[in-house]
Amino acid sequence: MSGEDEGAGARSGADGAEGRLGVLARFPSVLMARRNLSRNRLRSGLAALGIVIGVLAIATLGIFGNVLQLSATNELGGIGNQVIVSPNEDAGRETLSPRDVATVERVAEGRGTAVPLVTDGAIVRAPNGETFAQLYGLDRPRALFTAREGRVPEFHRQGALVGESVADRLGVQPGSAVEIEGQRFRVIAVLAETDDISPIQPSNAVVLPRDAFAQSAPSQVVVQAGSGEDASYVAGTVRERLNAREQRVSVFELSSILDRINEFFGLLNAFLIALGAVSLIVAGVAIFNVMLMSTTERRGEIGVLRAVGVQKGDVLRTLVVEAALLGVLGGLGGVLLTLLAVVALLQFTPIGADVVFDPSNGAYLVVAFSFGVVISLASGLYPAYKAANEEPVDALRD
Amino acid sequence: MSGRDAPADGTAPGRSDDSTPSGAAGGDTARTGTPLELVDVVKQYDSGAETVRALKGVDFAVERGEFVSVIGPSGSGKSTMLNLLGLLDVPTSGEVLLDGVDAATYDDAERTDARREYIGFVFQSFYLIDALTATENVTLPTVYERDPEARARAEDLLERVGLGDRLDHRPTQLSGGQKQRVAIARSLINEPAVVLADEPTGNLDQDTGTAVLEEFADVCEQGVAVVTVTHDPLVNEFADRVVELTDGVIRDVR
Repeated sequence: MSGEDEGAGARSGADGAEGRLGVLARFPSVLMARRNLSRNRLRSGLAALGIVIGVLAIATLGIFGNVLQLSATNELGGIGNQVIVSPNEDAGRETLSPRDVATVERVAEGRGTAVPLVTDGAIVRAPNGETFAQLYGLDRPRALFTAREGRVPEFHRQGALVGESVADRLGVQPGSAVEIEGQRFRVIAVLAETDDISPIQPSNAVVLPRDAFAQSAPSQVVVQAGSGEDASYVAGTVRERLNAREQRVSVFELSSILDRINEFFGLLNAFLIALGAVSLIVAGVAIFNVMLMSTTERRGEIGVLRAVGVQKGDVLRTLVVEAALLGVLGGLGGVLLTLLAVVALLQFTPIGADVVFDPSNGAYLVVAFSFGVVISLASGLYPAYKAANEEPVDALRD
Repeated sequence: MSGRDAPADGTAPGRSDDSTPSGAAGGDTARTGTPLELVDVVKQYDSGAETVRALKGVDFAVERGEFVSVIGPSGSGKSTMLNLLGLLDVPTSGEVLLDGVDAATYDDAERTDARREYIGFVFQSFYLIDALTATENVTLPTVYERDPEARARAEDLLERVGLGDRLDHRPTQLSGGQKQRVAIARSLINEPAVVLADEPTGNLDQDTGTAVLEEFADVCEQGVAVVTVTHDPLVNEFADRVVELTDGVIRDVR
């Protein structure tokens, strides 16, 4: 065996014309397959084009669906992790009792941060104007808010955190002062707007310490949980503990809705990929047809090859390699076009690069490419088998 | 250039090891006896209800360097006989001897190897591949063999059949006679013991046919046996021996 390999190596080195083909000379089936495909470039090109379209369809539909799902998850992510416990207004309750708050805090322990919240509304005055704002009173703002300017403290004892649009209307910044119902507060931070969909929107609000409110019994407890699962657990347990005998609180959580939304996108994605797969199967039929045509056309030629001493296996291998090459070429073309489509997506839509370059999208590329090659191989097998197994006597009969 | 010779020596034995007939016959006895022989060969085809006996006990042998012409009317079993001689088909009964070794029991892969190493084929309609050059067509039987010498041998052979200036021409650029000479060169690429030709002059005019038959006569002089199956009386003029096949039975004519 090794002698044979050395022979092939020395030959490609010594012989200029064959040397050009280099490593390929060691794989005569590949060499012959390539030559056969290039004999009818138009037909080979059209067959490969089918695979290009199929792979493009699977990859782009898969990736676009995935991008949609990822962006939705990103957008809705926050909502799924929040649980908001408020008093049952139908029963005439306006505030949560300390026992309710304590229960929620206990349940949330280790699964997220429970933030009791007082809400109100008031006119906020600054040297340059005044505006109406939502007031939130809470002690642990960092669990819920991030700062655009300044710093959000872990524990909120004094000063005001001003929402973005309030700050813009009043022209205040960290260090300025605002007056609310006769009290002066120094602004410690301007809050950034959140992308999350949540009932707690800081943009049009001013966040104060709970002590600043005359009535400091919380009207809500917001639980910022670590994950959607934690959120559903907290919501479930709070309902169980507080609402067992009477409806004391209402619990608002969206993680189960988020699950449904994810489920829907999963379904949508599978549907899109199935559409792509149909086009790839059509491409497979096209390759099948092309291989069948070209083997039928070359029937006599294959008969001669067999007659002059080329083994069945070599003929079979060459024809299968032909189909595989069509698949690989088409697959690469499809992957390339998909990348272009993704670049276009990035260029012309507001979808972010983080979602587009998510590793899970790469998986769709790989799956689409492999599927393309496998479909081509599968379509090439029968024509190859049929051609290789024909008796040379029959093939050569005029 | 020694670098090129060394691996060639290395590959040559590997190639002949694969060659079943010479391997089976043993190195020094190979090609000394009768290269190809049919002994009491019967071939019948079952086509549904009826059984057609194409050959009814044929005995036939060809010696080294001998040019034998097989004639006979259509349907007499000529093609069947050629297919059996060429190991393209197996007899219903009887023996096909390659250098005295029965090849009738070979499986497909063994017969394919034997064909490549032992037998050259020339067809009425040439069967050259249009996409390949003359030289590439001649090396066709060796494409899967990694034979480093094949190209040089092909060029020598084309030179010998008078196509030294047509090495890189494609079949479409060649005349009928030139094509058949390329086919003859192809049949000789593996230095066979026997060349089998099916109506080699069938698609050629008289003058071209004569030139091609002269090539066959040359081939015989190299010690290769040539068997042709033909309707063309011209072939008989070049043949050392003529046999006639009628209704599956063979008899010597000359």
